[in-house]
Amino acid sequence: MVDLARVQKELHECNRDVQVSGINVTLKGDSLTHLIGTIPGPIGTPYEGGTFKIDITLTDGYPFEPPKMRFATKVWHPNISSQSGAICLDILKDQWSPALTLKTALLSIQALLSAPEPDDPQDAVVAQQYLKDHQTFVSTARYWTETFAKTCAAEEKIQKLVEMGFPEAQVRSTLEATGWDENLALEKLLSS
Amino acid sequence: MSTQPTSTMVSDSIPMASSNPKDFAKKKRVNRSAKLKQCKLDARREQWLSQVKNKGSKEEPNGEGGACGQGIHVANERGNLMEKLAIMPQGKEEENGGCMNHYSDFDSPSNSPTSHTSSVLEGNDSGTNFTGGSSSSNSSSSGGCCSGSMSEEDNEEDDGCLDDWEAVADALAATDKKQEQHNSSLDSAPESDGNVVNMSSQVSGMDSSQQNPKGRGTLPGSPVSIRAWRPDDAFRPQSLPNLSKQYTFPMNSGRHYRGGSVWGCKSLSIPTSCPICCEDLDFTDTSFLPCPCGFRLCLFCHKRILEEDGRCPGCRKQYKHDLVEGETTRDAGCLMFRPARSCSMISRS
Repeated sequence: MVDLARVQKELHECNRDVQVSGINVTLKGDSLTHLIGTIPGPIGTPYEGGTFKIDITLTDGYPFEPPKMRFATKVWHPNISSQSGAICLDILKDQWSPALTLKTALLSIQALLSAPEPDDPQDAVVAQQYLKDHQTFVSTARYWTETFAKTCAAEEKIQKLVEMGFPEAQVRSTLEATGWDENLALEKLLSS
Repeated sequence: MSTQPTSTMVSDSIPMASSNPKDFAKKKRVNRSAKLKQCKLDARREQWLSQVKNKGSKEEPNGEGGACGQGIHVANERGNLMEKLAIMPQGKEEENGGCMNHYSDFDSPSNSPTSHTSSVLEGNDSGTNFTGGSSSSNSSSSGGCCSGSMSEEDNEEDDGCLDDWEAVADALAATDKKQEQHNSSLDSAPESDGNVVNMSSQVSGMDSSQQNPKGRGTLPGSPVSIRAWRPDDAFRPQSLPNLSKQYTFPMNSGRHYRGGSVWGCKSLSIPTSCPICCEDLDFTDTSFLPCPCGFRLCLFCHKRILEEDGRCPGCRKQYKHDLVEGETTRDAGCLMFRPARSCSMISRS
């Protein structure tokens, strides 16, 4: 049985300073055992500007067993599977401690984004690229961030403009043309 | 007590001081017996007795001159029986070079009236103002190295209650012991030197697990040490030597919880709830320090962890099973602390 008191407290504490940490944990459904964590991409990395969702499943042994975490958002990172989102991080495995929390684990994942460990890879292809062709790695990671980690925001922007009465196809193309700048796209849409 | 002539203070006050506190001590113990396991405490007391006897002989060289002589008196006489107390003056002179000073000082008219006056004041004040009383005793006796009140205290220390007049003074300031203090001060103020009696009775009124280490212990500095041996204070002594005397004062007034939180950097963060399960920590849990890293958790979570990998959540090191027992932890703490205490005594002298 998951320690509900602890999970509830963690959720409360984590969402209290979401403005500071940028890390958010929400319920996926009605159950406290399935959660969604979101972390902002670290500034100064190819992941900057993205918002990464992490699927969290708490086992019965939590907090004595680590929470199961995997990226729900596609990420190009040596220690994260580009296919499954599986995370290679010791604290989510043998180095877990009951003193850690969902928030600290998510913080660790955020730190992993800014400090990849290509020598202990989860995704061998990405790790090879990271080591042998770093430029390509950076641009790929950035592209993936733009494509997958910002879609949420993009969808919101599209939704917003569509609600103003513009056709969705036009909104989408205008937004893409203006680099997803909401205000610029709005001006363009109005002038067209 | 204010009517007591200075010249007869020694003969009068010694038997009084030695007998009265004992009564109080008994009274207190009876009161507390409901809460405490007396036999266990007695056993610990015996243990301390033997430990400190050894300790006392070691410290002797340090305390030869001046005010530090008191510490030595304490050490030497620690094991003496009540009967011996009455004839203490002779015994002291034979035993200890430092006592010669002690008594000459005491007999000199310049010193003894002063100390007596201060103690009188303390007696008057004791009901209302402990701090004032203790501070006056501090000033008087520190100025004149060994004074009459000190010798009395020495006798009482043999009672198993006190090491040191300063410690006693500190103990007086402990406001959280109001009840005991009031009882003891009210009872004892009329008889002999109020200062000493108050202190001794108060101290003896305390948990005898504290009192024992204290009585046997060599630290002159210390209600500090009294509290340090509370069951929940494991490892607290590590940080004691760094604290100044004044700083310990307000701390004494805190109960063990609060005191504990003030004391060490480790215990500074004694959590109110278990960091693992978020349940509130009860007294047993807060006194439970399973790992030297200082990470605290409740007994349930600790047991659960032992059933699994047995590693401390705070430092990921394996729990050491000898540290898991509270007893052992406390004893270990005492052992660690002993050198520190002797150090503080030396520095004071």
